[in-house]
Amino acid sequence: MSIGKFGRSLGIRHLVCGSCNGCELEMNALAAPQYDISQEGWSIVASPRQADVITVTGPMTAAMRLAAQRTLDAASDPVVVVAIGDCANGDGVWCEAGDAGAGAGRKLGAAIGVRGCPPSPDAIREGLRAAATLLDGRKS
Amino acid sequence: MANTYREHIVALDELPNVVDELMRDALPLGCYATEQNVRTLFASRDGVLALRSALAPGEAWNSLASHHPFFANHEREMHALQGIPVLASPDDRPLYFPAEAIPEATVAEGKGISAVVVGPVHAGIIEPGRFTFSTGGESVVHIDAQLSYSHRRLEPWFEGRDALALVPHVARICGNCSVARSWAYARAIEDLGEIELDDRSEFARMVLAEMERVHVHLFDIGSIAAGAGYGAGTTAALGLRERINQLNRATSGHRLLFDSIVPGGVKAGVLADPGSVRVALRELRDDIARFCDALFSKRSVLRRLEGAGIVEKSLARRFAAVGTSARASGIACDIRALVPYGVYRRFAFSEERASAGDVYARSEVRVREIERSFDLLDRGLRELDGGEVPTPLPVRPVAGVVTMVVEGARGAESISLELAPDGRVERLHVISAAYRNWPLVTRAMEGNIVPDFPLVNKSFNLCYSCVDR
Repeated sequence: MSIGKFGRSLGIRHLVCGSCNGCELEMNALAAPQYDISQEGWSIVASPRQADVITVTGPMTAAMRLAAQRTLDAASDPVVVVAIGDCANGDGVWCEAGDAGAGAGRKLGAAIGVRGCPPSPDAIREGLRAAATLLDGRKS
Repeated sequence: MANTYREHIVALDELPNVVDELMRDALPLGCYATEQNVRTLFASRDGVLALRSALAPGEAWNSLASHHPFFANHEREMHALQGIPVLASPDDRPLYFPAEAIPEATVAEGKGISAVVVGPVHAGIIEPGRFTFSTGGESVVHIDAQLSYSHRRLEPWFEGRDALALVPHVARICGNCSVARSWAYARAIEDLGEIELDDRSEFARMVLAEMERVHVHLFDIGSIAAGAGYGAGTTAALGLRERINQLNRATSGHRLLFDSIVPGGVKAGVLADPGSVRVALRELRDDIARFCDALFSKRSVLRRLEGAGIVEKSLARRFAAVGTSARASGIACDIRALVPYGVYRRFAFSEERASAGDVYARSEVRVREIERSFDLLDRGLRELDGGEVPTPLPVRPVAGVVTMVVEGARGAESISLELAPDGRVERLHVISAAYRNWPLVTRAMEGNIVPDFPLVNKSFNLCYSCVDR
């Protein structure tokens, strides 16, 4: 880790767009001592303004479209969208079911996708590391 | 399998009296509509009773909620999804709102009262909901909880689909109550097909359901610690829960046990080595007991929990609350005891209750329920030891109508299923414990201070996905 750059610390804002909460259970597991993402300098932040990463779950619902777009608009550049779980990535069981969308990550331009229903905490952590690497390249 | 579902035909004009009568002793499960009928559901020791009332196209429904507020959201849903006009409703706001719209909130008015809006996107890893707090100073006067951000119109989408093809979908209506809901759905299909399961499959189902209860209760206890501002408690609870999730994966191939209960039994290969699960759980049980003792004997934590977010017994009864949230206010409503199913029918299962109705009581009931779950797990795994769990029986869906209810970690989880002769779903209606309990959360906060909202909210820890669908 480069202390000089703080390049790989992440502020994460989580956005739920019609997920079943399974992805959220696994996201929450990241705070368990077995994973403890705070050791990586990562934290779940209280505002999109503080976020380097927006994690998004679910197929997208009509009711969340506006709030999701506003969350993205409020984030300061650079920000990376990470699609967590099969629904957000476009082929979960709820994609295009009823009036659900075809994947919130697709809709919001996710640069990184983490697969699984839900993905394991290890897989989510790998996705977030990939986001940190991507941001390393974008930050000066 | 004992058929625990009955229907009575009740004309619309007689319905209010029959409902008044049943509300005294039975647990209402809600009401739901099909094209021709509305069914009003109750659970009691005799099983599930449906009052079937014919409703002609365009005919109006006289609100039951005008006398029994419990029915308000059920009726709003009938209006939103089936277009049924509801007369004299105490709450006729649309249940769902159009895309791109920002729904109005109800706010209190008066001198010195101000409103604060939070959500639908939150600072934590939680589902979407918008809460509008009307406050006077630090005290909460009123909360408007706007849910339905996760609404996907799933129930109309279920119609016409093959009942067995929907098994993975039912397991994913909500990640918190997946096993319980899969069990209710399997029982509904098996009940219509008059399929009886062998003992080992029934014991395996109980083991899976109790493992779900333990991991959800532990998560809730960790969330309560977070709400109380005690991060060490949250971390420890998450660490213990993670051990169960890893055990779940070893046991079922899935960390949250999704898809482990299927019509006809349990997924092939599940619980292949019950002996090692039993050993792992014994160690975990001791660690969880030590953790709960330490957490709930810490004075600074207790002082936050005691007296916060009180739900009076009368309020819980008025809204027909279920699960730990109702039992913490002294209400007997555990489906495992009230309408026993599977192997619970063999035990004299006594439910855990408390009386104070505050955050501490809701925590205490969970701690004791975890203990009871470990008793059941030990018993179930001993039964399973030294033999194989059978692969699921072949199931052919049979036409009919049924409602089945089971006890999930949050309380009563019901599935109403109407099947056509070709095995297609004509109606699949899901009412979760969280759906029943949401009205308590906002009322429990009245008179409490704003900073206690996370604590009080987390002491219910209700889901959104199964509520909104």
